[in-house]
Amino acid sequence: MSDFEPKLVCFSCRFGWGYLGDQHALSAQIKNWIPIICSGKVDATHVLDAFKHGADGVLILGCPAGECHYQDGNAESKKRILLLQKLLDACGIDPSRVRMEMSLDPEGKKIPGLVKNMSDTIKKLGPVKMV
Amino acid sequence: MKYGTKRGETEMVAKPKVAITWLGGCGGCDEAVVDLNEALLDVTNAVDVIFWPVALDFKYHHLEKMADGDIVLSIINGNVRNSEQEEVAKLLRKKSKLVLSFGACACFGGTPGMANFRTKDDIFNWVYRDAPTVVNPQGNYPQVKTKVDGKELTLPAFYEQVFALNQIIDVDYYLPGCPPPPDLIANAVTAVLEGKLPPKGSTLAPHKALCDSCKRNKTKPQRIAIKELKRIHEIEASPDTCFLAQGVLCLGMATRDGCGAVCIETNIPCRGCFGPVEGVKDAGAKTIAALASMLDVQNDDEMKKAMDSIDDLAGYLYRFSLPTSSLKKRRT
Repeated sequence: MSDFEPKLVCFSCRFGWGYLGDQHALSAQIKNWIPIICSGKVDATHVLDAFKHGADGVLILGCPAGECHYQDGNAESKKRILLLQKLLDACGIDPSRVRMEMSLDPEGKKIPGLVKNMSDTIKKLGPVKMV
Repeated sequence: MKYGTKRGETEMVAKPKVAITWLGGCGGCDEAVVDLNEALLDVTNAVDVIFWPVALDFKYHHLEKMADGDIVLSIINGNVRNSEQEEVAKLLRKKSKLVLSFGACACFGGTPGMANFRTKDDIFNWVYRDAPTVVNPQGNYPQVKTKVDGKELTLPAFYEQVFALNQIIDVDYYLPGCPPPPDLIANAVTAVLEGKLPPKGSTLAPHKALCDSCKRNKTKPQRIAIKELKRIHEIEASPDTCFLAQGVLCLGMATRDGCGAVCIETNIPCRGCFGPVEGVKDAGAKTIAALASMLDVQNDDEMKKAMDSIDDLAGYLYRFSLPTSSLKKRRT
């Protein structure tokens, strides 16, 4: 298990995360980083597709509650993730493999740390079994 | 190419051969064929039904003796859960020009596909050991081979999971439903006989969602706001109002149209037997997007209350389609 390196996909809202930072430098540090316009864009299908293609975890970075540029995209995404976690649990995939962080970080300095934290948690869970 | 002759014609032309069979299904799909009523006479006049185990006494070796591709159309219902079902599916594929995946079980795994939430061991232990009605002091479990009085008895091997038909053989067309309705069956058979078929891989049913044709759609408010979901038996449901507006989870928004809304007509919400709409693979994931937008919750407590009101969400969303969903089965 020690040589297992989890594959993480990180979606982040461009309005709240990393828009002032050096995109190239951040991209080099964060594997599978997908900046998007509003976390509300992340559908359950995207998360399931990530798992289907071999991801071991999915991290979604959205804006704080009440601060969505599009009114409530972050709240919509949060509801979807909570519902999706029920499906994952029923299929033997630990719900903590999908996490949503609602905060702000224009420089994007926190992102590599958040990805690492989640990777460490997932390392203990091991890879998602492909079926 | 046009096959067969019209009823009353005496011309002796070899009729196209059609096979109908059930794999892991309940027989309801075969019953749906019988429900064609008088139209079935036209069908049997136009074709030779050379295999239909539920209705007539045909044997597998009759099929084995046929030339490859000799059967014009095989209508296969039910999913694949054991080695016999796989063998029959592959034999019919070999002998047939066209294979129609018929009904929810063949198309998506169907209700028995929910067995994929459990392992084979869980199922065997419950059925042969733990269920309160079981008396099995010697702990006998079914075996693929058993010696009895010096003779070997065999049973098909029970697989680890349920498969939809297209996960086992190549399928030409799909006709979903639990069971498929008579009008779509008649259309499908006519299309084959007249050679007017859409591209291979098509589903022979409408492309839009059930909500699109639902009579109750006009009663849907502009924005549905659900605090807690109710199950149909927990309320006195209005027979005319959108179920979602009444707080009852109805899957019409993410389910293919074509069933004739028979459940809705009997005041039961849609459970999704027609599978996802055209272009969608995973109806459950799409339902989540729709359902989340309908949950009217302002904070974590309200969200928890709403979530707790949903009994077995995974079972509800994948009632007919777990084996073909992105998740497919429970990991152990």
